[in-house]
Amino acid sequence: MSRPRSQAEYLARLVPPSVAGLNRRSLLAGAAGAGALLGTGLLAGCGDSDSGSGGDAKSVSVGSNQSDPKPKDVVAKVMDGFKTSSGVTVNINTVDHNTFQENINNYLQGKPDDVFTWFAGYRMRFFAAKGLAGDLSDVWGKLDGYSDAFKKASTGDDGKQYFVPASYYPWAVFYRKSVWQQRGYEVPKTLDDLNTLGAQMKKDGLNPIAFADKDGWPAMGTFDILNLRINGYQFHIDLMAGKEAWTSDKVKKVFDTWAGLLPLHQPDSLGRTWQEAAQSLQQKKSGMYLLGLFVGQQFSGADLEDLDFFTFPEIDSTIGAKALDAPIDGYMMARKPKSKDAAQKLLTYLGSKEAADITVKNDPSTLVANSGADTGAYTALQKKAAELVGSATEIAQFLDRDTRPDFASTVMIPALQQFIKDPKDIGGLLTSIENQKKSIFTS
Amino acid sequence: MTAVSAGRRRPVRPARVVLHLFLGTVAVGWLFPILWAVLTSFRSYEYTAANGYVSLGGWTVDNYVTAWRTAEFGKHFLNSAYITVPAVLLTLFLASCVAFVIARFSWKLNIALLGLFTAANLLPQQALLIPLFRMFTEIPLPAWMSDSELLYDSYWGLILVNVAFQCGFCVFVLSNYMKALPHELYEAAMVDGANVWRQYWQVTMPLCRPALAALATLEVTWIYNEFFWATVLMRTGDKFPVTSSLNNLRGEFFTDNNLVSAGSVLVAIPTLVIFFLLQKQFVRGLTLGASKG
Repeated sequence: MSRPRSQAEYLARLVPPSVAGLNRRSLLAGAAGAGALLGTGLLAGCGDSDSGSGGDAKSVSVGSNQSDPKPKDVVAKVMDGFKTSSGVTVNINTVDHNTFQENINNYLQGKPDDVFTWFAGYRMRFFAAKGLAGDLSDVWGKLDGYSDAFKKASTGDDGKQYFVPASYYPWAVFYRKSVWQQRGYEVPKTLDDLNTLGAQMKKDGLNPIAFADKDGWPAMGTFDILNLRINGYQFHIDLMAGKEAWTSDKVKKVFDTWAGLLPLHQPDSLGRTWQEAAQSLQQKKSGMYLLGLFVGQQFSGADLEDLDFFTFPEIDSTIGAKALDAPIDGYMMARKPKSKDAAQKLLTYLGSKEAADITVKNDPSTLVANSGADTGAYTALQKKAAELVGSATEIAQFLDRDTRPDFASTVMIPALQQFIKDPKDIGGLLTSIENQKKSIFTS
Repeated sequence: MTAVSAGRRRPVRPARVVLHLFLGTVAVGWLFPILWAVLTSFRSYEYTAANGYVSLGGWTVDNYVTAWRTAEFGKHFLNSAYITVPAVLLTLFLASCVAFVIARFSWKLNIALLGLFTAANLLPQQALLIPLFRMFTEIPLPAWMSDSELLYDSYWGLILVNVAFQCGFCVFVLSNYMKALPHELYEAAMVDGANVWRQYWQVTMPLCRPALAALATLEVTWIYNEFFWATVLMRTGDKFPVTSSLNNLRGEFFTDNNLVSAGSVLVAIPTLVIFFLLQKQFVRGLTLGASKG
């Protein structure tokens, strides 16, 4: 549907066709005159506003949740790169990530930007299945440098691609090299090793594992990795998709194992934010911390260089320790972009090596998804993280991205917090999760 | 305490000491979080991260500079003004019109009308979210009014919503206030040949100045603080009001509380300025509205 572009057009549109009849043209002229009288300035202002062009794309709009100063700057630089290479202007609409995330439903059903930032995994498939995102199979035909794991993470339930990956970060167990060297700790290879190490740390007056769950989501990382180690990737994904029962012995074993590890975790975690837990690691009060690569944001200078990590140790030797959480961020296209051509061109650029190179050069806290990118500028920590993910057999997206958003926030957050508060009643807790899951996944 | 020992004054009763202790504690209790935020906002994150918040040192004004720059306060303060100023003026004008009719004329439906406006106040705004959102995405605006070409994502829409939700309370307060004005004034005005409009504009409104000032203070604060509708009915980050800037200061994974404190202090300043400017009117308005006759 065409919308009026100027005051005159708008006024002309108010005239019903029955009245307009033959005189429509003169009425339009009259209206235009009235409009001109009301303010030529206004009319002139409209001409060069960004709302111009429908078919010949001179501009494309991007909704971005990258509101932190550094990533925001990187997005701006990448979009500048697109402008230089294609001549199409990009209007970036930055909304703080929290608001963006909470409003995504409204946003997509209202009048979304042509291209918008979003997450891979279930959260992407959810909106793709609802028809709120544009098909990007054509764009994928032009992309290279992506492993199959990334393509799989960008594919919707119908087998088409809806997502262009840009960056990702792995979850792992972080520690300070200096502390470990000084005390002679070794990276644990199995769960038993981890328990022994934890007991030793306790003896040395450290919190073995820093832990915080005030915000509800950090504990999901612990659940994910335990489930991946105990039951494997496929079971984890099926469980997240609501296909497996939470009351099964397999899930019970995850919580039993967790309950066994809880005494090694920092106590009173429900009143602590992850920043505070990370600071306890930084202040050498805790021995290790299972978190995403972003934990480095709490470290600076020499402390950052002192930071190292290992992947969570093996629990079941038949499953191994090759799967991990590595949430992928990227871009999607609105279902009806103003100019499909320009939007797809932009998405192709965003998935290209050039865009990845700009990101690497400007943001040291993230890893780029395109394997063709020049990663010479990576820090030692980044290189190791990229290797870890590269060697992973399967990549999960993190609990709140792998399942329905409402299930993650209304069921899992309180359930995990309840478990941390009282780890004894696992059976009752799982029954309650299963019941709620049934009602949510059938709705 | 020295004044107490002077003896000439009234003897200090224990009840009085308890009262002052109580008042002092409550005052400190109220002021503590604010002062704490102000104190924190002047300290560097590195210092508090290393020494904890229960310490002194690491003084800096960088937080304010960074907050102003990263959250683009300048632009968002203006956005807030675009919404708040017209919304408050319009609310007060419309509410005073309704209140005048309710107070000045006795019709059968007076109570029902007042009830309607007051009851609307009790309606939870969130309950209307979905219908309003749908409506706003369907109502077109010409491009010269809003670049979104819809009521959705335009200042017009937000002003409308705020006016609609604030009118009820203002009508309630103003009509009570106007009822307290002596009826003889209007009889005198009628004898002098003043029509209804003149009675409203030149007799009632000037007398309502304290009540209007009090309401203006409250409404500015409320509409300025309004965040819910702004985030739901807007989608362009650059058009968000200043309350959203605070969210911009919270990192995706990392939040610098000192920076957020500095931002909060900045955001609180305009409401404080308004309050201190209109403070006298505010208090007078409250008491005047309370006593009838």
